[in-house]
Amino acid sequence: MGIAAVLLTRNTFPLAVEMVLLLGGLLTLKMLRPLVRVLKLILPLVGLVFVIALISFAWETALVLALRLFNLFTLSFVFFQALDPEELGDGLRKMGLPYEFSFILTTSMRYVPLIGMRIRLIADAQRSRGIDLRPRLRNVPRFMALLMPLLVQAFILAEQLAMAMESRGFARKGRSFRRGYRIPLHEYGLMFLALCLLATFVIWERG
Amino acid sequence: MIDLTHINYRYDELSTEWVLKDTNLKIGKGEYVLVCGKSGSGKSTLAYLLNGLIPHFLDGELQGRVSVVGKDSRDLTVADLMSLVGLVFQNADAQLFNSTVDKEIGFGLESLGLSAPEIEEKIERTSKALHIEHLLKRSPMTLSGGEKRIVAIASVLSVSPPVMVLDEPLAHLDWEGAKRIREVLLQLHEKGTTLVVIEQRVGALHQDATRCLILEKGEVLFDGSPGDAHPILIHQHLVPRYPARTTGNEHFGTTLLEVQQISHAIEKRPVLKDLSMEVKEGEILAIVGPNGAGKTTLVKHFNGLLHPSRGNVLFMGKGVRRQSPADIASRIGIAFQNPNDQFFKTTVEDELAVGWDLCKKTPAGWLEELRTLFHLHELLSQSPYRLSEGQKKRVSIASVLVMKPRLLVLDEPTVGQDGLFLETLADLLLTLCAKGFTIVIVTHDLDFALATARRWVVVHGGKVVATGPPRELAKDENLLKMGALGNPEWAPADNVHETF
Repeated sequence: MGIAAVLLTRNTFPLAVEMVLLLGGLLTLKMLRPLVRVLKLILPLVGLVFVIALISFAWETALVLALRLFNLFTLSFVFFQALDPEELGDGLRKMGLPYEFSFILTTSMRYVPLIGMRIRLIADAQRSRGIDLRPRLRNVPRFMALLMPLLVQAFILAEQLAMAMESRGFARKGRSFRRGYRIPLHEYGLMFLALCLLATFVIWERG
Repeated sequence: MIDLTHINYRYDELSTEWVLKDTNLKIGKGEYVLVCGKSGSGKSTLAYLLNGLIPHFLDGELQGRVSVVGKDSRDLTVADLMSLVGLVFQNADAQLFNSTVDKEIGFGLESLGLSAPEIEEKIERTSKALHIEHLLKRSPMTLSGGEKRIVAIASVLSVSPPVMVLDEPLAHLDWEGAKRIREVLLQLHEKGTTLVVIEQRVGALHQDATRCLILEKGEVLFDGSPGDAHPILIHQHLVPRYPARTTGNEHFGTTLLEVQQISHAIEKRPVLKDLSMEVKEGEILAIVGPNGAGKTTLVKHFNGLLHPSRGNVLFMGKGVRRQSPADIASRIGIAFQNPNDQFFKTTVEDELAVGWDLCKKTPAGWLEELRTLFHLHELLSQSPYRLSEGQKKRVSIASVLVMKPRLLVLDEPTVGQDGLFLETLADLLLTLCAKGFTIVIVTHDLDFALATARRWVVVHGGKVVATGPPRELAKDENLLKMGALGNPEWAPADNVHETF
């Protein structure tokens, strides 16, 4: 359902300012705090895009680009916050995607927090032996110290995961499912509503 | 149930070393077999062999015959074998790949193609048997180490395999977690499940098993009753016998590090509550306590990885804030639990050189001395990733010590290590102490803490609940009752020969 909204931002002109307001309203409902944390990472990127566009094009284009990027990030954030990966997987399976693929999707999303934790542990271990990993330009070459252990451990984890899955019959034919997934009626309604909003917005914006 | 005849196996056909050599093993129904051996003796390989990962999933060369419940494992796939032999892996994070515990337990049942009501019924029965009904809707990632392990067992148990193989089920667990796993294993044993348990912490399971198997370099060194195995376990250093402490210096020096009433919260949950402690110059101090007590969070404050929300940490009278990591590391070095978190160079020599290059002040002979002390000369040209667990740990500690910090902190150094390494490490720490280093050990391994430390700081629920001489604290009824300490896995008189 968020996807329709993401599509919206494709059409942002300076009107994007309104989008930001809209999102702001939506977020104050409950999700502002975690968003701020994520924004810390995203804002420099948005700033960079803005500066580059400012140099190469006019300031209007730069503003539009930056706002569009910002909105996209915010929306995808909302999308992933609100959505249980397994629901997405179930939905996709319903749409005819083979189980293996929906499984890969949901499982890889589940391991994101674990990888995040690993990165923190590796950074702590390396800093404790004197390797400066603070985000400064001169420390960039040192990031190998973060990347290498992470890659190696990701490979090890992948292999162990594969063995564990194999041992529990992932590859076995004739798998059954505990619960059937059905798209409830009100979600169809919401989808319809979102489409209507999208259409209205596009018509209004194009004048 | 299980019959291995003349098994030879190697992971790489070109390698000259066999991981398992001419192994013969018969395991009958209902046996509880404890498999011991040093790291690299072929224990995990044996587990993979039993559930068909060898030869079906892992390449390599296999000779001989593996028969499980009367069937040759070559004729079955791993998926066929899942209802015969359940394998609980060492790494619970890899084993648990579903979003909630009930899905985790149901996964194997779905694989078998059971109907939804049947699956629900079995999930319920399994969770009841292991007393984890309250965890069913939780995500496995949010569980404690002990809970994860029980869920991992449940995920395999749900398809009720007649044989269960567990690879180091006690790794990372404190006494409380270990006790629960021990009870679960006993319960399975009573119900007639054939158990094959691979474990380094022999002491914790030794009394329960009906049979003990000792592997040494891929060969069966001993196969018999646990009672008869005892002298061999000690002789093979599988049960650590800690070195005698001769230096009787009870006069502690000046205060090196002082923690003043610090508090710290992670996501609003208080982890450290108004905690104070100090480290004296030249001592070996152990910070002990159960998992989740806040021990690791505490030591991360020592070198500024974390900052307290209230309170101060002073090193030699100065605050640790606002110093560069290299500066701090040349005074306080911390080696964390997992050596793999550190390695990023292709050889051990380069790995050690990292800290050496960063710190200009270290005296010239120190690197050489360190290599000798840690027996690293023969490892210098090897890749750190290819070393055994004990060797990795040695390199990891040496790579922190290379900057010659006055204070060395080791976070859970005993996890996943065999008895021989524990002895070596204890010896090494005493040597380092004699050379003037101050050492802090963070551990839930009370035997190790008893053998090495002169002073304990007991941390429980984010607070220091006791400080003092180890022998007295270890017997303190109050501490035992509140769960801040547990009973040692071996009676201390068994394995520590001390001369104070």
